[in-house]
Amino acid sequence: MYSWRKVKDRMFFVLILTISILAITPIIHMMVAVLANGFPMILKAGWGFFVKTPPTPLSQDIGGIAPSLIGTAILTLVSLPITIVLALFSAILVNEFPRNPLSIAIDVVAKSLASIPTIAVSMVIYILVVVPMGRFSALAGAIALTIVALPYAYTYISTVLGSIPLTYREAAYSIAMSRWKTIVKVLLPIAKRGFAIGILMTMARILGETAALLFVVGRYRTATSISIIEPVDAIPLLIFDYILTPYPIMQQIAWASAAFLLLIYITIFIAIKIIVKEVRL
Amino acid sequence: MLISKRDKILFYLLLPPATTLLCFLVLTILVISSISLDSIQIFGIKLFISNIWNPEHEEYGLIAPIIGSISTSIIAILTAFSLAMPLSIFIAEYLYGFTKKVFSSIIEVMGGLPTILYAMWASTYLVPVLKNYVMEILYSQFSFIPLFSCKPITGFSVFAAGVSIGISIVPYVVAMISEAYQSIPFAYKEACYGIGATRYETIKMLVSIAKPAILASLILGFARSLGETTIAVATVGNSMYLSSCIFAPSYTVSALIASQFANAYLYRYAGSVLYVGALVILAISILLSFLGLTIIIKWRTRLVV
Repeated sequence: MYSWRKVKDRMFFVLILTISILAITPIIHMMVAVLANGFPMILKAGWGFFVKTPPTPLSQDIGGIAPSLIGTAILTLVSLPITIVLALFSAILVNEFPRNPLSIAIDVVAKSLASIPTIAVSMVIYILVVVPMGRFSALAGAIALTIVALPYAYTYISTVLGSIPLTYREAAYSIAMSRWKTIVKVLLPIAKRGFAIGILMTMARILGETAALLFVVGRYRTATSISIIEPVDAIPLLIFDYILTPYPIMQQIAWASAAFLLLIYITIFIAIKIIVKEVRL
Repeated sequence: MLISKRDKILFYLLLPPATTLLCFLVLTILVISSISLDSIQIFGIKLFISNIWNPEHEEYGLIAPIIGSISTSIIAILTAFSLAMPLSIFIAEYLYGFTKKVFSSIIEVMGGLPTILYAMWASTYLVPVLKNYVMEILYSQFSFIPLFSCKPITGFSVFAAGVSIGISIVPYVVAMISEAYQSIPFAYKEACYGIGATRYETIKMLVSIAKPAILASLILGFARSLGETTIAVATVGNSMYLSSCIFAPSYTVSALIASQFANAYLYRYAGSVLYVGALVILAISILLSFLGLTIIIKWRTRLVV
């Protein structure tokens, strides 16, 4: 016997199911489309993809993304460690002295800065770093990325630190360990895997950031530069510039770069999942 | 609070690195407002009530990009909400075990993906589909409503940008709604089932408890879409066109900055005016995220366990 309530219950389920499928379709389609468009282009470019410079509108050869690849690597290598260290210190401070007004201020600011428009970061770093230096540089880019990624890294690490049961701290204090020793010898080792995940997530954030780099790194892609005070390029910037051009050859290399970026993300994500699984054991 | 001397030393040692963000926020506000001041002094209120971008004659008015940003974000958050709310309920209530893991994993991946991928996909695939199957139909059936009153020409428009940004923030909104939904004590659910409520009725009850937190996640999602740059540049159509119709190409503040900043140094005030634009979206998004976070914290403390 079906009552109106049961019918409503079924109808609700069907509605929820339909919209959920609708919500997830665009993303699946996006990933499939990026891989389907980009992967053949990576194959077409071959090894040149990693060592050549990008094509000009008239070139026949699809070229490669070496300048952007190296640029992204430099930016990540410089900004990731700085971000993690700063985030770690901030998180420890807030976790150890939670009632201090400064800690509260740091916590609130970090959380609000997570939604700051990243293009504004780019404009500020342009004034603070690029103008005084007189040129675009990887250094300016790394600083901009640090500012963008810091709130994320902070939020993540402080969640990890906050989730350590209080009993560990009590045990350490009861054998007369100092606060600093407790942090270094007890709390940090417990949170090791959580940190690993936090570092990977921060890295993902840094790798994909576009808007924060727009006005600071110089988009220099005619040759490969490995100096930190020279202009560089980044993979997201290359995609951003090339996808809006009308030239097929440039769009092809943009799709190839997008597919490459997506593959890196999938790898990072699988790594995170493996670490999470180990934590459960 | 700081009792022992050693603790004090530790506190002061940790202080300099920990205050980086604080310093940066202060610097940001100082830099952006001091540069904005240049053009605010010259143009005054005209910047916010007129619509013109003519650097050759040093004439500027930002009303179109500001309205463009706000309407894009409203469309984005409506899109994101109508997709994210059912999705969070579906994951929390109807999925178990392996499928639940797969679904939440997909959403986690979605949330981490760089926006440039969304921008690329939206400008290539989503905009044409929206134009042919949504905009054309709304225009032909409802053109008497001012919002739908113009014929979509290329499809690149406020509407397209709103929907694209909306899709890109779905994972973010889902994460926040799910977190709120799951922090409701289990006792409420048990109570609902205990008096014989159907699943639909139970969900309705739980959602009504989570309402403030859901509102907060919408506010935070709005703040985030306001600052979105790459997707906006790729889909909004980039033209200084002020219209009540959401199918017309327009600008958002961040798209304007992204496309004009590189040439702004050629003119006396163009750069400064762009900083005014940045100041506007920065102020709105910081205020909104502060508001959103406050609502969530208040809701948490009031939740009876």
